[in-house]
Amino acid sequence: MLLEISGFSKHFGGLAAVSNVDLNLEEGEIRGIIGPNGSGKSTLFNLISGVYQPEPGGTMFFDGENVTGLQPHEIARRGIARTFQMLRIFAQMTVLENLLVGHHCHTHYGTPSAIVGRKAVWEEERRVRSEMMDLLAFIGLADYARMPAGELSGGQRRLLALGRAMAMRPKLLMLDEPAAGLSPVNVDKLLDTVMALKERYGLTVIIIEHILKVVMDTCDVVSVLEHGEKIAEGPPAAIKDDHRVIEAYLGKEMDDAEVRAYLRSS
Amino acid sequence: MTDPMTDETAPVTEGAMMRATPVRHLAPWLVGLAVMVPLPWVAFNDYQRYLLDLILINVILAVGLNIVKGFAGQVTVGHVALMAIGAYTSAVLTTKFGAPFWFALPGAMLMTAVAGAIVGIPSFRLEGAYLALATLGLAESVRIFISATDYLGASVGYSDIPPPSLFGMPLNSFRSYYFVVMPLAVAGVYFSFCMLRSNIGRAFKALREDPLAAAASGINVRKYKSLAFIVSALYAGCAGSLAAHMSPGFLHPNSYTLVEMVTVLLMVVLGGIGHVWGGIIGAIIVTIIYDLTREYYQYQLLIFGLVIVLTVMFMPTGIGGIIDRYLVNRGFAAIRKARKDAA
Ligand SMILES: Nc1ncnc2c1ncn2[C@@H]1O[C@H](COP(=O)(O)OP(=O)(O)O)[C@@H](O)[C@H]1O
Ligand SMILES: [Mg+2]
Repeated sequence: MLLEISGFSKHFGGLAAVSNVDLNLEEGEIRGIIGPNGSGKSTLFNLISGVYQPEPGGTMFFDGENVTGLQPHEIARRGIARTFQMLRIFAQMTVLENLLVGHHCHTHYGTPSAIVGRKAVWEEERRVRSEMMDLLAFIGLADYARMPAGELSGGQRRLLALGRAMAMRPKLLMLDEPAAGLSPVNVDKLLDTVMALKERYGLTVIIIEHILKVVMDTCDVVSVLEHGEKIAEGPPAAIKDDHRVIEAYLGKEMDDAEVRAYLRSS
Repeated sequence: MTDPMTDETAPVTEGAMMRATPVRHLAPWLVGLAVMVPLPWVAFNDYQRYLLDLILINVILAVGLNIVKGFAGQVTVGHVALMAIGAYTSAVLTTKFGAPFWFALPGAMLMTAVAGAIVGIPSFRLEGAYLALATLGLAESVRIFISATDYLGASVGYSDIPPPSLFGMPLNSFRSYYFVVMPLAVAGVYFSFCMLRSNIGRAFKALREDPLAAAASGINVRKYKSLAFIVSALYAGCAGSLAAHMSPGFLHPNSYTLVEMVTVLLMVVLGGIGHVWGGIIGAIIVTIIYDLTREYYQYQLLIFGLVIVLTVMFMPTGIGGIIDRYLVNRGFAAIRKARKDAA
């Protein structure tokens, strides 16, 4: 098991955004997390990445280590990278700098060396910059390296958010609705990039996704959230036919024909 | 295909920006130093030499403030108080404890760094205007403490602070003092340049733009906030000590009021928030204007405050930012044009 989460809960006031969720991931797996709007998917990501502390009773083990309650930067250092639903790219920094920030943890030189400008520092900077340029080329943004990230188009921003997470050289990559707002062609392109990165670096991936088709096509296992609870989990084919899931997802009861039509169209 | 994460022989494209050899790395700084050596002889009179020293002290101060305010985005209004702590520490160390300037200077910087770390603590919880208020409170209490403490000359002022001496020779002329201030200013600018071009500078910018995204990228936000406050305090302490020992060797708590704070802020804002050269450009311009308008003391705060507001509204990235944007625009004119044509 790469990631073992048990009993994660988070309340906002009286609202149970996530309640008593378990999640276990095998190394190399692609996990989909689906669920209607407000079902707690992003909150679950925030719990995993340390943005929120889980309530007492929740535990999280990553790569065999107990990482329950660690700060976000400590979680990140252990090899968990995430993207945000609202991307949160550094708009005023250049595209390349965004990736360099992602690479932060892998810096070898220390603060004093950086301040006095030792040779080792700029040699490493040079090397890392060229590594990041290669990564930019891989995700197709090399031409924009020195452009302020705020000037990128919507699709390019999504790629950059992905690139910044990849610059962290993570073991586990968590993507929060990575394809939201993209045209179908760009959705496919983005997913191809994700898959290529996964193959190349042997990643484990969790994707939160609204577009059912994306989840069904790409994921090994799908977990379904509703009102903060995990109501189903299994391979896409099984999930697809689970009436509870479909009802939860669509928020109403449907007959089989309607459901099939929906799944085809989405 | 090679692995971009490990391949060290990948073509150096962007990397070419980083200078490749020690000589090329240091050469511009040595040239800068060489250009600055004859300046006191270029100056026409003692007033200009005094102004030259003052500009360089303010460069140190502004470069330091640019680190915490411009790069790390922490709205601190306590910077002149840190300068005051540096100045008075240095004065006390030399006059009451007989320490030579060369010990008093690092002593003052150390003391100020500790104070800076304390000023930085509210930044763990507060942002923006709230942080400004907290640091303003700390700053004012330092000034009031000095005004009320007889040991520090209270509101009469602290006089007879000795100039530094080298091999028994007192460096009390503005010209000789220049050779104490100038190398320190060049070194200060050099260190800030190195730091801000490294991953430290990027961490500062990241936490300025989005602390949450910075943390998710593995940046220890508290550590880098503290670092920004401490390093900028070291600069303030250095500037304070230099100001104390400059002729006539006199300190007064009124030199560390809100007017001075606004003046230093203006240097950073006008020069360019988060722009490495911004603090320097700003310090030069503002020091000259400040000194020329001394007679109209009662209007300075008003005018400088207005200029800050106007700059923030209409030129938020300052002079440095405009230069930056020009350079970036030049590089991307083609892409933008293509986009426009496509649209
Ligand atoms: N910071 C917050 N404060 C208060 N309520 C929140 C906060 N974040 C999320 N919520 C609430 O928690 C629930 C789950 O939200 P979220 O995890 O964003 O859902 P999803 O990502 O599945 O759409 C929603 O009802 C949302 O309104
Ligand atoms: Mg969400």
